[in-house]
Amino acid sequence: MPAAPPAAAVEALDLSLSPECRVPGSKLYTLARLKAVKAALKEKRPIHVLSIGSSSAGLGASASYPVKLENALEQALPDVQIEVEARGLPGEVASGAGERLRSMVAEMEPDLVVWQVGTNDALARVDIEAFGEALDESVQWVKSHGIDIVLIDPVFTESLADDAYYTEMVRTVQDVARREAVPLVHRYAAMRFLSTQRTTEAHMLGRHFRLNDLGLRCMAEHATRAITLSLLQPDAAKDVGKTDPTKADSNKTDAVKTDHATSETTKPDPAQTGTPGSGPTTAPKQP
Amino acid sequence: MREPNAIDFWRGFALITIFINHIPGNVFERYTFSQYGISDAAELFVFLAGWSIGLATRGRDGQPEPRLITVLRLLARTVEVYRAQITIMALALAMIAGCALYLDNPLILEWHNAGGFFADPIQTMVGVVLLTHQLGFFNILPLYVVLIAIAPAVVLIGRVSRLLLLVLSLSLYGASLVFELNFPAWPGEGDWFFDPLCWQLLLVLGFLSNEATRGSERLQRLWPRLMPLGVVIVAVGVVLAVLELRPDPMLAPEPRLVFTFDKTYLSPARLIHFCGMVLAFQGVYALIAPHVGRLARFLSGLGRNSLAVFSMGSLLSLAGQFVRFQTGGGIFVDISVVGSGLIALGFTAWFVEWRSRRPRPTRKAPDTASPADSPSSSA
Repeated sequence: MPAAPPAAAVEALDLSLSPECRVPGSKLYTLARLKAVKAALKEKRPIHVLSIGSSSAGLGASASYPVKLENALEQALPDVQIEVEARGLPGEVASGAGERLRSMVAEMEPDLVVWQVGTNDALARVDIEAFGEALDESVQWVKSHGIDIVLIDPVFTESLADDAYYTEMVRTVQDVARREAVPLVHRYAAMRFLSTQRTTEAHMLGRHFRLNDLGLRCMAEHATRAITLSLLQPDAAKDVGKTDPTKADSNKTDAVKTDHATSETTKPDPAQTGTPGSGPTTAPKQP
Repeated sequence: MREPNAIDFWRGFALITIFINHIPGNVFERYTFSQYGISDAAELFVFLAGWSIGLATRGRDGQPEPRLITVLRLLARTVEVYRAQITIMALALAMIAGCALYLDNPLILEWHNAGGFFADPIQTMVGVVLLTHQLGFFNILPLYVVLIAIAPAVVLIGRVSRLLLLVLSLSLYGASLVFELNFPAWPGEGDWFFDPLCWQLLLVLGFLSNEATRGSERLQRLWPRLMPLGVVIVAVGVVLAVLELRPDPMLAPEPRLVFTFDKTYLSPARLIHFCGMVLAFQGVYALIAPHVGRLARFLSGLGRNSLAVFSMGSLLSLAGQFVRFQTGGGIFVDISVVGSGLIALGFTAWFVEWRSRRPRPTRKAPDTASPADSPSSSA
């Protein structure tokens, strides 16, 4: 890891997020390319997103995470029709949940899977190595069928801040995301950062529950940010033969709303300031 | 009280397997048969439910009881199972919430589909009583409610024609597989974890196996001869499970569910594997029962009181998960969690039978009872 520049200490918050959800970009996401979504954007067809995980029961109320994700994505990608389907995923990745994931993906054939992963496995204290292998396999499987996938690592809670097993679990999700070069939403790091912010917001059940509420509310925004910025990732050279990269790029940047953070070309994008162990985080190309 | 018998024995066996499998990550999990085949204890439980419906709707002399009695009996059972599901859901949600508060750990609120209830209680409360909101591991009883509710139709059609019953059941199963028909989840998106439209076939098969075998000497001779076939199927299942060989659902041809190993829709591979298990193990109880008297009595006791034992088992496995989580697990924790759970299940079965044996206090007629008496009489 390169020595952190002094500026990193006062790294700017990502101003495209709601005030209470603002986190520096380096704590928020690791970017990687999203080929299938780009292709869908290029063909100007609706983007099917399958949101999976503990908060993805897909509730009808407007307050729920999947609905927020859909709204946030539609806001970030105007003129693009986004259809979010949400499913809870019972069971542990280390013991069979990967199979259920495959059935769901086969049933819905989405362009993008947003997978909030690790909670059930952490609660069952499964063997971390087995978890990592099973997760890696599932991610590989999704990718092998030309479907994009974004991972969201588990929730931060102070009662587990010093739990070696739990932090190892979070690290394992990060490792898999890096190895498979898929975008990752650092839910853990983002909430950890938010937990240090002073806030006047109270919660009837105490600080940890306030943070949890806040984390849930912000997760959709954080995931959306990671997805839209990942869409700005340039195609790798080896793909040049297949499509005209410049054309593809201009197409997709038309679609992606350039918001506050990305439009300031003079300011380095938060993604560039580097995350320990981040994936390919090249600067987004500007139109 | 029934003597120990094969049906209660295997039912007790299924209950213990479900209890252990519902504490994921524990060391005993890898010693359950679910790890060595395509189907698991859920199939066994439903099949035996069908089998015992056949027994329960006949008198001691083996004659079918009057139709109205059958309908009322199964209706009463449906109410009982529904009540059990609502009760354990309420207790489970309270355990999850209480545990999150006590350990000051909101992570626990995200436990297997519980998050929806706490994030969105208004709709989800309705979903809980409609059985359309199910927690992970608490999804078998909703299936059971539906199956017992349709059981009167199964029994009555079966009395008219077994073939007709089988054809109807197979058609419903086939249509549900091909068109992916299932009960919807609500307010969450998606469907039921166990699709009643598919799983009814197993109940019907259990019912028909019992009905057809009781009067037919030919069938009684045929089953043991099919044992080698069952052994082959079980062996193939072991190989597939251990090597983790299964079809890729994205590559499976349409209709996809016919070819994948899907639990929700009881895909044919699971069904065939389960039938193989029945054929392979049909004679085992008679073989081992004389040598394992205590075990046979213990498991049969659990099986006789399956609803109470299942309900307690669900709650105990949830508690076991929390204990494992908070202590970090390990072999000693697992031995104590599973060991104390098994003792508690045994006690549950004993307690239910003790309660039903206990002579009831004679009640006064309502008009002569003083108001002070009424609370005690409600017990």
